[in-house]
Amino acid sequence: MNPRFILNDFIASIKHWTRSIGTVFWTIAFPILLILIFGSIFSGADDIQYEFYVQDFDDTEYSHTLISVFENISVLDPIIVSTSENITDYMEAHDIPAAVVIPQGFQETIIRSFSDPTASVNITYYFDPSQATTTSVIQSIVMNTINEFNLNLSGGHHVIGITEHTSQSEEFSFIDFFIPGMIGFTIMTSCIYGSIERNTKYRKDGILRKMLTMPVSRTEWILAKMLFMLFLSFVSTTVILLFGVFVWGLNIHITIISIIIIIATSFLFSGMGMIIGRFVKDEETADMAGGAITFPMMFLAGTFYPLNQMPAFLQSIAQVLPLYYVNEGLRNTMIYGNMDKTLYNLFFVMLFAIGFFAIGAIVTKWKED
Amino acid sequence: MPSFTWDTMEEKQVQCPQCSEIFSIYGNPGERKVISCPHCQIKGTFTFSTQPPSKDQSAISVTNLKKTYGDLVAVNNISFSVKKGEVFAFLGPNGAGKTTTVEMIESIRTPTAGSIMILGQNIQTDFNSIKEKIGILPQEFHSFDRLTVRETLEYFSKIYKRRADIDEIITAMDLKTKEHTLYKSLSGGLKQRVGVAIALVNDPEIVFLDEPSTGLDPKARREVWQVIAGLRDKGKTVFLTTHYMEEAEYLADHIIIIHKGNIIAEGTLNELIQQYGGPSILTIKNCTHPGIISLLQEKGFTVTNKENGDISIEIAYKDKILEILSLLRHEAAEFESVDVHRPNLEQIFLNLTGAKLRES
Repeated sequence: MNPRFILNDFIASIKHWTRSIGTVFWTIAFPILLILIFGSIFSGADDIQYEFYVQDFDDTEYSHTLISVFENISVLDPIIVSTSENITDYMEAHDIPAAVVIPQGFQETIIRSFSDPTASVNITYYFDPSQATTTSVIQSIVMNTINEFNLNLSGGHHVIGITEHTSQSEEFSFIDFFIPGMIGFTIMTSCIYGSIERNTKYRKDGILRKMLTMPVSRTEWILAKMLFMLFLSFVSTTVILLFGVFVWGLNIHITIISIIIIIATSFLFSGMGMIIGRFVKDEETADMAGGAITFPMMFLAGTFYPLNQMPAFLQSIAQVLPLYYVNEGLRNTMIYGNMDKTLYNLFFVMLFAIGFFAIGAIVTKWKED
Repeated sequence: MPSFTWDTMEEKQVQCPQCSEIFSIYGNPGERKVISCPHCQIKGTFTFSTQPPSKDQSAISVTNLKKTYGDLVAVNNISFSVKKGEVFAFLGPNGAGKTTTVEMIESIRTPTAGSIMILGQNIQTDFNSIKEKIGILPQEFHSFDRLTVRETLEYFSKIYKRRADIDEIITAMDLKTKEHTLYKSLSGGLKQRVGVAIALVNDPEIVFLDEPSTGLDPKARREVWQVIAGLRDKGKTVFLTTHYMEEAEYLADHIIIIHKGNIIAEGTLNELIQQYGGPSILTIKNCTHPGIISLLQEKGFTVTNKENGDISIEIAYKDKILEILSLLRHEAAEFESVDVHRPNLEQIFLNLTGAKLRES
């Protein structure tokens, strides 16, 4: 082992990195931009209100009661539309996603239903299919509300009630959940793309061939590059944490285990990058291969939102993704302080790190065929 | 009659300055000999070097080297040796097997068969110790963009135990004014000069340069040639692969021509010309004398009369030029000009393969 070469290469790599303003800027700016964008989108989820429109042709006590029930639902903001309007024309003219029409005879039918169980009245739900996401949310809320209303009218009463709460403890906000995911994601991208660059660009430029003819071993070369990748990982982590603390008032704890996870993650994804770089010859294809791995993993491994909000089969896929264990490990040690879950996730991170780095180091070759 | 000491006696090939005939002479170290050309009998002297020849003059020795990829034979059972201190050119068109061969010698590729010795050591068993004694410029080499010239040389230098003085290399490569310039900001020619400089950071005994001037403009190419010529002056052995015949002609002491994985010719430039180049051609442009062709034929020359009035004459020796010019003067023949075309490596390659070097 030649520590002098490793130090020499590390210093040269830092010089090389700092001299590209663009590279330094994006290493720092990329995670910040993602924090700003996703943080703004998701941290404001509590304030969301869906506007929807109600046209009341009955205008009776019972119809007013139903509207007041809608008004009491925090995420709904019902707006009354005059009965002189044609509802579909009105929706189209005002780009309204969803509306409910209460028909004339609504109260009368309900009263009649107390003596005649066959009596029924239909409330019409109008929606704009081009705004499917919003309308499906509103439809779900409206249907639940009407079911509840039906239940009360038919004389039933609640035995089991539901009180809604978020899955997070009160002292943590979305950004606390999000920041560890950003750390994992940023280390993943910088290590995978960094390894790919070394293995494709340096091969194309003849640097790997040159190294092969010099008194330096492949192990020394890989360790030197890993030292630099660790440097980049800690730079990114520091930037993310500082930004989180000063801009979002982040509530987070730096632990020894979080540092171990960051180091293991750097080895894990560098190994993955080495494997990609070994089998993909040119830089353009390698970049695409890197993207094909990092982007799905970013979305499927619970980086931006809790995994339990995804469909069951996607949750199963996440269980085999290394980034999932990185994210969960970092969250449990940095936010929730759950040592059992931290160690459980750390075990998988270490397992993936050893496996991928060993395979990456073995398949990385300098010799030509 | 000089007495020879057999174990130090040396063979030298010399070329006659009058008629270009190449012939061998023998002598002891330091011996001054009177020699005479066997063809034109011109006399001269030759002094043998005072240094006795070493037992092993080979810097590189390649025996029965072969490389196959499936059914494709990239290098076909070739053998050659490179003497210490010479510029050795491996000349051939793209895809001839030059880079495959040099990369097997550099241990970048594994041979299918054959053996390679560098400075008396087998590369398969002793390559780690050989690494300190060789310097390599790989084909299409591109160093780290954002390190300066000096930083680049220092980076590579620190890998070796044996190191040359970086300042001396910078001066020798004429890079003083660019030592603090980033590599990416250098011109193509300067980048290649830095590449050669990197190959020298460990003061190697053998320097491998794989296509060092490919892609450079003529001026930059000439600059790289000057650098390579300087290496020979410093006593380095240079193994050069190239597909530029001018490069081999300008630089090489010894040339191997490789084609489709086979060595098709080997020797010094003059030896190759003598053996494979055919005669030189003297062309008399626009000659109006009616009987000059028959006069030349009577004197034994092979003459071709072209439609545009030019007359081409094959000449084996330089003294024949004077004979032809004397004849033209004697006959008061009028002509536009006289050109002599000596066969070059391009012609040799054409004669040997039926293809042009650049088109192969």
